[in-house]
Amino acid sequence: MEDLLQKAIAEASSMGATYVEARYHKNDYFTLRARNGNLIDSSREVEEGVGVRVLVDGSLGFASTSTLSNEGILEAVRRAVATAKRLSGLMKSPLRLGPGRTGRVKYEVPVVKSFENTPLDEKIGLFRELWSRGREVVKEASLKVMFNEYVESIEEKVILTSEGAYVRSTIPRLYFGYNMVISHPQKGVVQRWREFGGSGGFELVEKWRVVGTIVEEAGTLARVLLEARAPPSEPVEVLVGSEIVGLMAHESAGHPSEADRILGREAAQAGMSFIKKGMRGFKVGNENATVVDDPTIPGSYGFFLYDDEGVSARPKYLYREGEVYEHLHNRFTAAEYNTESNGSARAMNYASEPIIRMSNTYVTPGDYTFEELIEDIEYGVYIKSYMEWNIDDERWSQRYVGLEAYLIEKGELKGFVRNPVLELTTKTFYSSIVAKSKDLRFYAGTCGKGEPSQGVPVWFGGPDVKLSKIRLGVAPG
Amino acid sequence: MAALSGSELASRFVSKALEMGFSDVAVLVEDVSRVMVKFANSQPSVVQRWDISVASLYLSKNKRLYTGSVVLDRLRDLDKLLHEISYVVDRVSESELYAPLPEPGKKAGGFSFVDTRVVESMKDPSRLAELVLEASAREHKVDFTAGKVDLWLRRKHLATSTGALLEEESTGVEVYVRSFKEDGSGQWGFSSRSLDEKKIEETALKASELAHESRGRSPVEPGVYDVILSPLVFSQLLNVVAWMSTGLSVLTGTSIFADKRPGEQVASPLLTVWDAPRDEKLPHSTGFDDEALETYNKPIIEKGVLKNILHNSKTAAKLNAKPTGNAGWVSPRAWNLVVEGGDYKFDELVSEVKRGVFITNNWYTRLQNYVEGVFSTIARDAIFLVESGRIVKPLERLRIADKLPNILKNVAGLTRDTYDIMWWEVRIPTRAPYALIRNVNITKHFV
Repeated sequence: MEDLLQKAIAEASSMGATYVEARYHKNDYFTLRARNGNLIDSSREVEEGVGVRVLVDGSLGFASTSTLSNEGILEAVRRAVATAKRLSGLMKSPLRLGPGRTGRVKYEVPVVKSFENTPLDEKIGLFRELWSRGREVVKEASLKVMFNEYVESIEEKVILTSEGAYVRSTIPRLYFGYNMVISHPQKGVVQRWREFGGSGGFELVEKWRVVGTIVEEAGTLARVLLEARAPPSEPVEVLVGSEIVGLMAHESAGHPSEADRILGREAAQAGMSFIKKGMRGFKVGNENATVVDDPTIPGSYGFFLYDDEGVSARPKYLYREGEVYEHLHNRFTAAEYNTESNGSARAMNYASEPIIRMSNTYVTPGDYTFEELIEDIEYGVYIKSYMEWNIDDERWSQRYVGLEAYLIEKGELKGFVRNPVLELTTKTFYSSIVAKSKDLRFYAGTCGKGEPSQGVPVWFGGPDVKLSKIRLGVAPG
Repeated sequence: MAALSGSELASRFVSKALEMGFSDVAVLVEDVSRVMVKFANSQPSVVQRWDISVASLYLSKNKRLYTGSVVLDRLRDLDKLLHEISYVVDRVSESELYAPLPEPGKKAGGFSFVDTRVVESMKDPSRLAELVLEASAREHKVDFTAGKVDLWLRRKHLATSTGALLEEESTGVEVYVRSFKEDGSGQWGFSSRSLDEKKIEETALKASELAHESRGRSPVEPGVYDVILSPLVFSQLLNVVAWMSTGLSVLTGTSIFADKRPGEQVASPLLTVWDAPRDEKLPHSTGFDDEALETYNKPIIEKGVLKNILHNSKTAAKLNAKPTGNAGWVSPRAWNLVVEGGDYKFDELVSEVKRGVFITNNWYTRLQNYVEGVFSTIARDAIFLVESGRIVKPLERLRIADKLPNILKNVAGLTRDTYDIMWWEVRIPTRAPYALIRNVNITKHFV
């Protein structure tokens, strides 16, 4: 394959490309889906091909092919160069390539318990156990639906560039998602959609305590349905659970720090950013507002060591002690910022161009225990989990609706509240953090961006965070 | 020996799989050539070209189901692929959704339409990109423009163990444009099976007009308002409703129709929404579904009454219904949506509003609860306050936070004119009018 990729680079260069990137990319997915403990289907999807990106006369072209022959790949190269050339006449500001520390390296994520050596029945057994034990713990209400999706995948890439980068990687991942509907004739419905994900093998199922965690949650949510009251209408102290804090880090620090978004490249799709060029140092929060994006965390869902431009990856401080600090860059935005790429370019599959993506984004932890965080809260709300969320396209006005949420009175949890709404600005959130727990926890998700839309695996995380007094809303009931 | 075509490979796979003991087999081969110019800051940001052949597979044996997809070349190594599949199928348990593949309908067959102008423009899309950029700047001198021009030629071949061997070829176009002027922005979209330069031009002009008119935004208090939704917004929300109208959504608890039956009133009598695979203009039109059943146009909601849940043979069997030509082997889907227009001109619709909000675009629709349809979505780009039947001023961003069943039931007026919409947030091509919805809950951030 390396030979074919080299030929692609030589062909594009001979046609006038000043930069060429050729990527063999294979994603092999095996999926099992179940409803109410019964298997629906097994599925295997293999995406395999080559994507080629070229810079010609300041114009960027990308082509991909699923034909892995010499001719198939060279035809893709010729089309990428030809179409880029044709569009170059419309470039008012030709694209440039900034520096980046590219590598020549091979790496792979180790697996403790391989997918192929784990019997299928052990995997299918998870579904049966979840359904039977879930039904046992939900008594007065009823567990109506449990939908499960189990996906094991292996991503293999070989990336070569005209500047000498060579990166060969293999990353196995596991994903487990579920949707749970609990209903009661008078009280209505609560619903939970949640995902687990990481890089590694089947051993992750045990690490995540998939069955125990979901069954415990089913019992708790049944109580939320039956017992929860409306949230307080006056401003109260709010303890935001790490699951929501992680999502906030992703939505209101990670996305607005994508340099391509800041420069307007995603304006018609994933949107813009409240951060504008030259706003490094902008005060977005207080000294507790530190957010990091780090693709190098072992076992993480957003793990990689080199990006898809062949550039070495590293942790980045997006917000540091309340200030906008560093953006996520690829080599093209690096040129605009007169800096070097920090290795943030990723492509979903062979048919996708590498674009700037987050990896594992988190609010840094503090030094409190959970008990210490709530002990001096006279009257407040603890929002542990969520279903509904969104944020505007500049990543400023955001909304999260709590699912499992508790009233706090005199330092203790005192029953459930239903659907509390945290609807605030990015600045308000990061300026209102008064304390953080020492527990840094991560959650899995699939981040969407690009055109065609690309979904890539990410983690988002954080500690439990205490906010100063804030007014909560309530979702329509 | 000449390389086998997609159809030949598919047929060979079906025969061999039957020999190996599978009872139901289908292979869908798709050859896609596609060119997309993505632009930002009033210039191309990247031009992308795809030439991809993918084979999607469906097999069952002893009520055990397998679906898969591989690049077409892998289908040539038939024995290896089928042995890999057998290894899995022999070890999984029976599917609770198994049903035999249905016999293909008598008229099942192609609904081909190839516009040669689309194919020609794929060779050099720069002229269309230039048209969009020029039209965007023509009347309102916007600060910058972003969007895409997307052109494709798609051939699909379907072979099944029920004897179907079908082919279809079609072209498609999707264009959307977002323009910015000062603090204003506007977006519009268009899609079709054929090239219509006038519509593309109008899309760019509309985006710049909205950007121009939405400058100088004011805040608005949260509360309950009458709301006019543009075809973009109405399409986006009805895409969610259409996804919820599939049998699999009903079965997996992700539908407001989970406890409804066809015949129940679920919306305003003014609302009729069709699944329209036979529409000659919308780009996802097709003559046959993935089970080789003939497609046909059908109302999902007719005059407010739920008429059809969209099924493949499996979800139909499970829910005691008939397949509707919407397979997906496991997940049924709507092909295109057509919302019937109403009696109003746009100005007349606005004149019905004493105090309300006109929302031209939205994104990020997320649900707290799929069964009850509790959701919120963010209005983006041009938003206007409407008072005493007139559009009076542009507004800052806000959210709709309500229940989908309320939105459907509170439709109070629709325009006669409809628009063929597709963009990043509207993936099912949808023909929709402007819609007036009464009593919609509007929120914004507290602090």
